Amino acid sequence: MSAQGDCEFLVKRARELVTEDPWAAKAWLITARTLYPADFNIQYEMYTIERNAERTASAGRLLYDMFVNFPEQPAVWREITVITAALRSDCQDKHAQFLRGLFETLPGRVQCEMLLKATEQCFNTLEKAEMLLLLLRRFPESVVQHGVSLGETLLEAESIEDLESPVNCFRKLFVCDVLPLIINNHDMRLPASLLYKYMHKAAEFYISYVTRGPSADGQLQGSQEGVSLKSPGAPRGSQRYIIEGLTEKSSVVLEPWERLLDILAIVGARCEWQGDKGSRSYVEILQRMKELCRYLPSLEGETLSCCRSQVVTCTTLVLFHSAYLYVSAVQPTLFQAHSSPGAVPWILLEDLSSVFSEADLERSSSKHVHKKRKLGEGREKTMSSDDEDGSGKGRGRHILVSKTDMPGWADMLDSFRTARESWDLLHSHEALETEFNRICSSWKTDSWLWLRIFLTDMIIYQGQYRKALSSLHQLASFQPPQQVQVSSQGSLEHHRALIQLASCHYALGEYRLACEKVLEVVSGLVPQAQGPGRATEDVTRTRTKFRKGTDLRLLSCTSKAIMPFCLQLMLACFKLRAFTENRDDLALGHVIVLLQHDWPQGEALFLKAVDKICQQGSFQYENFFNYVTNIDMLEEFAYLRTTEGGKVQLELLPNQGMLIKNPSPALGLVSQEFNTLLLPGVQTADRHHTVTRGITKGVKEDFRLAMERQVSRCGENLLTVLHRFCINEKIILVQSLP
Amino acid sequence: MSDIRHSLLRRDALSAAKEVLYHLDIYFSSQLQNTAVPIVDKGTIELVEEFIFHVPKDRSVQPKRMNCVQELQLLEIMCSYFQEQSKDAVRQIIFSALFSPQGNKADDNRMAMLGKLVSMAVAVCRVPILECAASWLQRSHAVYCVRLAKVLVDDYCSLVPGSVQTLQQIFSASPRFCCQFITAVTALYDLSSEDLIPPFDLLEMVVTWIFDDPRLTLITFLNTPISANLPLGCLDLTPLLGLVRWCVKSPLAYKKNLKPSLSNGHTGKLPREAVECEGADRDSQPLYSKLHLSVLQVLMMLQVHLTEKNLFGRLGLLLFEHVAQLVEELGRLVDELNPLNATKEIELSLDRLAQALQVAMAAGALLCGRDDLRSLCSRLPHNNLLQLVMSGPVQQPPHSPYQPGFYPHIHTPPLGYPPRPAAVAHPTISAHAPLPTHTAHPAHNTHPSHPSQTFLPGMTFPYRPIR
Repeated sequence: MSAQGDCEFLVKRARELVTEDPWAAKAWLITARTLYPADFNIQYEMYTIERNAERTASAGRLLYDMFVNFPEQPAVWREITVITAALRSDCQDKHAQFLRGLFETLPGRVQCEMLLKATEQCFNTLEKAEMLLLLLRRFPESVVQHGVSLGETLLEAESIEDLESPVNCFRKLFVCDVLPLIINNHDMRLPASLLYKYMHKAAEFYISYVTRGPSADGQLQGSQEGVSLKSPGAPRGSQRYIIEGLTEKSSVVLEPWERLLDILAIVGARCEWQGDKGSRSYVEILQRMKELCRYLPSLEGETLSCCRSQVVTCTTLVLFHSAYLYVSAVQPTLFQAHSSPGAVPWILLEDLSSVFSEADLERSSSKHVHKKRKLGEGREKTMSSDDEDGSGKGRGRHILVSKTDMPGWADMLDSFRTARESWDLLHSHEALETEFNRICSSWKTDSWLWLRIFLTDMIIYQGQYRKALSSLHQLASFQPPQQVQVSSQGSLEHHRALIQLASCHYALGEYRLACEKVLEVVSGLVPQAQGPGRATEDVTRTRTKFRKGTDLRLLSCTSKAIMPFCLQLMLACFKLRAFTENRDDLALGHVIVLLQHDWPQGEALFLKAVDKICQQGSFQYENFFNYVTNIDMLEEFAYLRTTEGGKVQLELLPNQGMLIKNPSPALGLVSQEFNTLLLPGVQTADRHHTVTRGITKGVKEDFRLAMERQVSRCGENLLTVLHRFCINEKIILVQSLP
Repeated sequence: MSDIRHSLLRRDALSAAKEVLYHLDIYFSSQLQNTAVPIVDKGTIELVEEFIFHVPKDRSVQPKRMNCVQELQLLEIMCSYFQEQSKDAVRQIIFSALFSPQGNKADDNRMAMLGKLVSMAVAVCRVPILECAASWLQRSHAVYCVRLAKVLVDDYCSLVPGSVQTLQQIFSASPRFCCQFITAVTALYDLSSEDLIPPFDLLEMVVTWIFDDPRLTLITFLNTPISANLPLGCLDLTPLLGLVRWCVKSPLAYKKNLKPSLSNGHTGKLPREAVECEGADRDSQPLYSKLHLSVLQVLMMLQVHLTEKNLFGRLGLLLFEHVAQLVEELGRLVDELNPLNATKEIELSLDRLAQALQVAMAAGALLCGRDDLRSLCSRLPHNNLLQLVMSGPVQQPPHSPYQPGFYPHIHTPPLGYPPRPAAVAHPTISAHAPLPTHTAHPAHNTHPSHPSQTFLPGMTFPYRPIR
């Protein structure tokens, strides 16, 4: 018998016995091994029995034997591959756990060797990296040798594969797994430049991770798409997120901002940052950086550049952190990680709640500035809202929020402030700005929609409306055109830019453009049933100290809140024009129509309008009966015609005035024909008047009938009436503004 | 001494016995202060025999007898005495003075009392007594050891069903005792006749013990200095040969003992006994298979140990004469059975024999050449594996020589053996004197005052050394 024949015989006998008498099978193999200790198959058979029975310790020992004595056997490599695969996977089944336990029984030296050899056999970068990571995690001493090279390999792979998003498998492994090992290993001496590079790689990853859009691809650019695809009540927060190439479990990054802070603390300690006391909160960091910045001018050379890098790195992180918090409150659906169903977006606009007051009218007509100043306002300097330089104007502006609608309003405003302060700090020195811009361009922050939203709001806050307009146009370019539609929830996220544009134009005094934008918004709105309470009432007004017209307001981005804002903005636009020295009946008419909203808030203004009409002795507004349904107003106008009322000549019926003279200066260039074409509702609704028109008595009769009919319309939904007003009179409205 | 005797004579049996114990305690305690090895003199022996085992010194004196209650009281007193005496040396010498067989007529009483005491100690788990009994089993002649074993087997494996559990639990209390007990029962039950087949409960217990911790079988060996001269006729240092005998002979021995019932079996009703017997056989065979594997594993462990201690090839734990005797017994068994009816059983027995021989030789436990095996096994029927073992492996190119001790760094016990947490927690070994003395001692709480130990990594047998 040959040796091979003997071995085959022995193994065969053992195999025959395995199922019926496993002990006997093992006895055979033990005997066989003492006879032929150098035979691989005998030992492999022994191992197979133990592995199949999932006996961890004995299988481990036998595997060790084979690894030491038969390192070249393919079967051994197969086993090692299976085991290392189990180590890398997060599979929880019994066999995978057994394999991991098996590996644990091996002596460290062997584990190390096994992982290294298995790594050598890997051709896939990701697998290789994961394998090497297993090694580094287990054997910290190997980090010195392999840590940085593994990190560089991953970063290299990322650039070779030309991955668009920093949220990719290579970066994830680098930032979350390799980097902590490298920077926490005290035997490693890394140059500061490398530490900064790694820090920035980590920051870019964590920020991109946390701000990823709700769409599964994790691309920020695609986030708007996710918004439009949103179906009501879809549990978006629980959406699974997988980084391509990784398992679901290893795609999860817990507490990204905290991890980033951890890395910042370690890098800080390693770079021996000024006064760095390790981990702290983002707000604390900003305070510390502000202090540090004061010393910057006194520094020079390496200390200066070191300090500068510290300030820029830290402040940049604070900026992005607080900007993220702000945007996630203002537009929660933007982020996958943050969105909760039913979260409403918020939009930063000029506060128009003072639109019904007469104060700004006084101011605009320079003659009467002294007349009606209220005490609290006296201290404020007069400043036109369209000051372009805006320097100093943004400081201390007040933002009004409905506290009941937004429970986290205080935190949100804090975040907004912190972010603004960080931004200011980064732009307080040219050198800082340069360094910050370098980071921004390498991270392509220009493509970050959420950051653009913050920046726009910041610019609006600073009162730099001209700049805000270009920022808003930029913002609009993020959104694909087909997005313009009202979602079922009545959320107007996609109108946010348009509304803000209107608000900015208004603030710049560009009323016509403001009105144009507002009307565009309104045409996309669906009028809501009139609610019982007014949205503006629950806003805490601590405004007495602040000058009217410079406050901002955060409005929830819904039809319910936006429609009133649009009406107020139009009112604000027309009001200035209506009450000038020059007669402008059309503007005054629009004002009267708009004053109906929120009645009787606008009572004082209405009375002022009536005064003006009385002074003029006549008033012509042909749309009156189409859009004025307010009983108080109707009564007032009925009274004006009477002798007691001053016998004011009212031309409120369509076409009545057209026969007499040109309608208004604003419409001067528009032909009558064109006018009638544009006002079809007017024509159809009042056709019967044509029968008796032209005769004074007939006109009186018409007026009386119209009044009577109008009184019966008082119950109509005012918002529907005003919505119709905006839509039907769109062109005339725009054209009646300079 | 005679003064004591006179005073004892006046007492009643129980108080006299107590007095003797008291006397022994004082006497040996004081002796141990002067000498390390006290002598048990004749006078003391006589006192013990007269007043504890009640063998009259001269015919004139009527022997006092204790009634059962008194005897129980005395046993209780002994039990608590050994439990409370903290000095191991005192306990050992007194146990020895009481129970070492003297080859006289007192031995019957002595053995009876010992049997009751140890049985009681098992029942209430008195570790010091079990430890003394373990030493006693090492020193005494095998005949007496077997007698003690028989008492325990009768008490715990035969009389009351289920009581084997109590005995089984001794495993964790006194592994030394268990080891000696196994050696004794394998000496007792040599499968040479139906009566000498181990009861099922006993077999199951022994297999469970050894399978759970194969090292158990080596405790006595590891605790005995190699230089020590073993008393003539005492038990083997390990139960290995006895266990090999069980494994090798069991297929044939069970077959042989089933024979009469099988011949009746075809005629009609099977006798109840035969059914039981057959059932026991069916349940027993897997146990023997398990046991056989454990024995081979112990041998492999032994190999590592012998190599580490540089004893490989110098210390045969299985004596060739004993193995020869076993082969002879096996040959006779084969002859007694009709080979045609027992082909399978003969094959199994010979397979196991061949495996045991091969592994024992490879492990250095059996020191002989393959030539010796050939002449030894020439009478046995043909068996492939045995043939292979007798002729030895075909010579292979010497590129990868097998190194017995090549696996020293891994801290898992070898070969599918699950570690016992308590034992693994103390992987210590004594710093040996030039000549290795296997003086380890099982670690348990009753011996808190061990001398300091040196830690050596790679310890295979985690039993605490005593000195």
